[in-house]
Amino acid sequence: MEYLQFIIILLFSPLIQGMIKKIKARMQGRVGPGIFQTYYDLIRLMRKEMVISDVTSWIFKATPYIVFTSTIAAAMITPVLTTKGPFGIMGDVIALIYILATGRFFMALAGLDAGTAFGGEGSSREMAVAILVEPMMMLSIFTAAISVGSTNIARIAEAQNMVYSPSHLLALSAFVVAIIAETGRIPVDNPDTHLELTMIHEGMLLEYSGRYLALMEWAHYMKQMLLFTLGMDIFFPVGIHQGTTFAGLGISCVIYFLKMGFMAVLMAAIESTRAKLRFFQLPSLLGGAFVLACLSLLTYIMMGR
Amino acid sequence: MMKNWIQAFSVVDFISVGILLTAVAMNAVKRLESCVKIYTLNSWLLASLIAVVALMVGGEPHLYAAAAATLLGKGILIPMFLRRVVRQMKVTHDVEPYISNALSLAISGTLVAVVYASLREGIFVSGFSKNVLQISIAVILIGLFVMITRRKALTQVIGLLFMENGLFLAGFSLTYGMPVIIELGVLFDMLMGVIILGIFAVQIKRAFASSNLDNLTILKG
Amino acid sequence: MYPEKFLSIGVLCFLLGSVVCLLPLQRTKTYSFILSAAGALNFAVFGLFLCFGLPLTLSPLPISSVFELLFSGDGISGFFVIIISLVAFSVSLFSMGYTREMNHRGLMGFLFNGFILTMYAVLISGNIITFLISWETMSVVSYFLVTLDRGEESSKAGLVYAIMTHIGTAFIVAAFLVLYRYTGHMDFAGIKGASMQLPTGIRSAVFLLFLTGFGTKAGIIPLHTWLPMAHPAAPSNISSLMSGVMIKTGIYGMVRVNMDLLGQGAEWWGITLIVIGAVSSILGVLYALMEHDMKRLLAYHSVENIGIILLGMGASMMFMSNGLYSLAAIALTAGLYHTLNHAVFKGLLFLGAGSVVHGTHTKNMEDMGGLIKTMPYTGFFFLVGSVSICALPPFNGFVSEWLTFQSLLLGFESPSVISKIISPLGGAALALTGALAASCFVKAFGISFLGMPRSHHAENVKESSPSMLVGMAVLALFCLLFGLFPGMVIAIIAPAVFSLTGVPGMSPGITLISISETAASLSPAGILIAIAVMSVATVAFLFSVGGRGKSRYGDSWDCGMPSLTPRMQYTATAFTKPIRMIFKRIYLPKRELSVSYLLKPFFVKSITYSGEITPFFERYLYEPGTRLIHGIAGKVRLLQSGSLHLYLGYILVTLIVLLIFGS
Repeated sequence: MEYLQFIIILLFSPLIQGMIKKIKARMQGRVGPGIFQTYYDLIRLMRKEMVISDVTSWIFKATPYIVFTSTIAAAMITPVLTTKGPFGIMGDVIALIYILATGRFFMALAGLDAGTAFGGEGSSREMAVAILVEPMMMLSIFTAAISVGSTNIARIAEAQNMVYSPSHLLALSAFVVAIIAETGRIPVDNPDTHLELTMIHEGMLLEYSGRYLALMEWAHYMKQMLLFTLGMDIFFPVGIHQGTTFAGLGISCVIYFLKMGFMAVLMAAIESTRAKLRFFQLPSLLGGAFVLACLSLLTYIMMGR
Repeated sequence: MMKNWIQAFSVVDFISVGILLTAVAMNAVKRLESCVKIYTLNSWLLASLIAVVALMVGGEPHLYAAAAATLLGKGILIPMFLRRVVRQMKVTHDVEPYISNALSLAISGTLVAVVYASLREGIFVSGFSKNVLQISIAVILIGLFVMITRRKALTQVIGLLFMENGLFLAGFSLTYGMPVIIELGVLFDMLMGVIILGIFAVQIKRAFASSNLDNLTILKG
Repeated sequence: MYPEKFLSIGVLCFLLGSVVCLLPLQRTKTYSFILSAAGALNFAVFGLFLCFGLPLTLSPLPISSVFELLFSGDGISGFFVIIISLVAFSVSLFSMGYTREMNHRGLMGFLFNGFILTMYAVLISGNIITFLISWETMSVVSYFLVTLDRGEESSKAGLVYAIMTHIGTAFIVAAFLVLYRYTGHMDFAGIKGASMQLPTGIRSAVFLLFLTGFGTKAGIIPLHTWLPMAHPAAPSNISSLMSGVMIKTGIYGMVRVNMDLLGQGAEWWGITLIVIGAVSSILGVLYALMEHDMKRLLAYHSVENIGIILLGMGASMMFMSNGLYSLAAIALTAGLYHTLNHAVFKGLLFLGAGSVVHGTHTKNMEDMGGLIKTMPYTGFFFLVGSVSICALPPFNGFVSEWLTFQSLLLGFESPSVISKIISPLGGAALALTGALAASCFVKAFGISFLGMPRSHHAENVKESSPSMLVGMAVLALFCLLFGLFPGMVIAIIAPAVFSLTGVPGMSPGITLISISETAASLSPAGILIAIAVMSVATVAFLFSVGGRGKSRYGDSWDCGMPSLTPRMQYTATAFTKPIRMIFKRIYLPKRELSVSYLLKPFFVKSITYSGEITPFFERYLYEPGTRLIHGIAGKVRLLQSGSLHLYLGYILVTLIVLLIFGS
């Protein structure tokens, strides 16, 4: 049973996306799409004919598979319901970040492959945002890893300590900003529009259609749920099961979905109450988050916890 | 029971880190009203820290008085006065720093690191006092740094007020509250100083049509 | 018995290879490269023997009454010998096709074989004299290789290179002189034995002198300025050797003297290396991002990777000075692993760049595009190199950067506060350079190979010749193998680590590394298998939901305008504009925009845009330095007045002074 815990991320990520959309709509006074609408969209895309630009090369065709499967591989490493998952030996949190970076690398290449200005812009901005986010995310994860003495995600989740310490809280705030940047939500990027001035992630996907687009979108939702899970595992692992008993897994499952619901509400709230920042204001926001991460490290050094 | 709850959730640590955070955040704001708001938050956190320590230590009622005095003086009266001064300024409400916000954030971060690194060994107190002492010295240094790198007179005043908060916190961590008389005296001095500085700021503005302290260099012999 | 046999056959191959080139026949030139490839193989086996067998010392060859040549090798030398052999083998195969149409082919083959031989000599030197002779010969031969095509650009580059490398050699000579003066030994074994008695001030001084000297060869900031000039000016197979291997001799020097000969040092040695490593890696990749000359971009990336190697080595030295030997072993493994990886993937990238430049006759990325369709194999190998250098799984760069991260995190265990703060910040710096490098290679690969051709240079291009492709394929294969089987590499590094730290290092499985102190583990092969299995599952799933999947080909989305031209694509300069803006305090960019109108302000005739970034180190460090030296030289020139009487007067004064002070 613990072999299959990554299937949860695979199957339920469109549901989480649907939930965020619905909550956002309600907060903005609209009715909004149903929470299962994302599933219908994905299936519909998989059945449609694809239009492929003849400027593109094999990289365009390979990228959806690479992005999709690398996100699944990253999900395998993460403890979802239990910390005794067997795939944790394949890698730790640093490996997870770099596996996600592989997906981003190929997405950026695919953006340039079609020879359009949209793709180039999306790729260029995505890599620039990554440059700002990576050090901050690494530093906040390092603070947690240092306190446990390991970068193994299962080990960090098992330690269950320091939930209530100030350095943890600062690192968590920095990590939430990192999640917003990586999943392309307001105030970093607008996931709802396709105007060239406001899209980063959508710019790279513009040429995709049909089943390739379905794979890329699904991978995006999986990455979102994966980052939520990672944040919860590192900073708030209360309630995760540490064995493989069926009852334990069941309880852990309920708690897990409560946590995911909380994250969905948080994201929707942030999106509904903020405006998207101009691209060149992003260094200020992400730099401020970096300072938060540095302060969390310094506080840990000073206080010892 | 309350004591155990406070200890379990390390409330004291949270509040002291919050004080540090507001001091660092002072470098990141762009408008004068936000500066005053951050100072208000800082003072409220300071007052609550004193109250929590009073709860934990128990049996020292003058600490409650000190908390109340801090809240009233620094948390309510001084910010009210500062807001009035800001309203009278009327024109630009931007903080005008000499160096960019990003760089000053980086420098204050480095200041915090330097303080932690240097005060690691050889302090004669330990535990809660050591943490708060390190934070208070960091706040003093950041307040001084803010005074150095801002142009407007009002931001200098706020920097000075941060320094005073830091000094008070340092004294508090070492002695669990200075005798009440001295504290009241210091507070009164502070209030007078702020009122006078505030009046001066408005006067400078009226005389030079800007509160930019660079213009004071005209007053050379 | 056996190791010496391989050594002598290898040397013989290279010597024969050089001599053969001097014959006027055309066909013999190819033989010289085959001979050098064979020689490299022999040396590889020799290196393996050194790693797993006992250290080897040949009998000394006296060359004068005082000095003698001594060659000796141990685990450290063996590891670096293997690195050189791998790259030299592949570059030799590549050169067979690459040099076919070159002008000075004979000279190239002669110098090529000699160059590789001198690098081996540096690695297996056993005493000061041998080391210095080999070092100097290596520098001289590489100077001739850089200026091979006699052009103006390469002459200037060669001059700067010669000056910088001799400045570095001067520091090395000074440091060796100090060592000899205080220990009385010429041979490395003797110095190692006597080094613990040196006074602390002398040891620190020697450390700094060696750091500057070897750092010039390795290319750390701010001693790096010759790298982006010399490496692009040389022919691409030589650039590959220089960037992949020659700068590693600088790293070898640092490892040999600072860790082996000087033994345990103070803590600030390690911290200095970490800081220099972090600064070099960030600044190196920042400048690489702004280049649109493909070879200059790769040269700046070498600066970055040397910085990453120094991060690992500095962490190791810091641990050793605190007595944490098992952690030092992990950090040293990380540094040495990255040395091997960088040699392999940088060699591959330069060969790829050489192949591209050979086919398109331009070095400027802004003129390329769409090459993946006309040069598919070169594109694939360049992609493998790019993915490796960006440290993406499952290739080799990922493993060594992961190990470097782990060792920096472990830095928190050391007692002093400074190392507790610097180590995680070093980790953040490493994360930053990883992201910057990824951005740089998306640009380098994407703009050159993808999209539509941007100029006529990139339009009618043929794929490179088979020998060039085979050379690249060998290195690409090693990139994958070293990533999937890290246990193999760590086993080769283990003897070197043991001799330096006294700890056998990590004992990994074949495809799995785990660090027991932190319970973190990594298995790139596992990740690859997971990805492969999931890909099959995905294809099956898509088939079941959507059927066979129809697709048709059309134009790229153009907003309904008439068809897109290649000029509407993103350019390399445009791609890096956000990064230029974010880091503008470091770049200090300037730009000029001039618009000419047919009818102001509505009808624009043409827009000219030019931009540049400030070359910080050249303008603020080197140019004032050169001006100062010119000034001093001008003053000294007054001594040379040309008058015979004045010269006689100088002789008289000197004789009098000698008389007074000699008695």
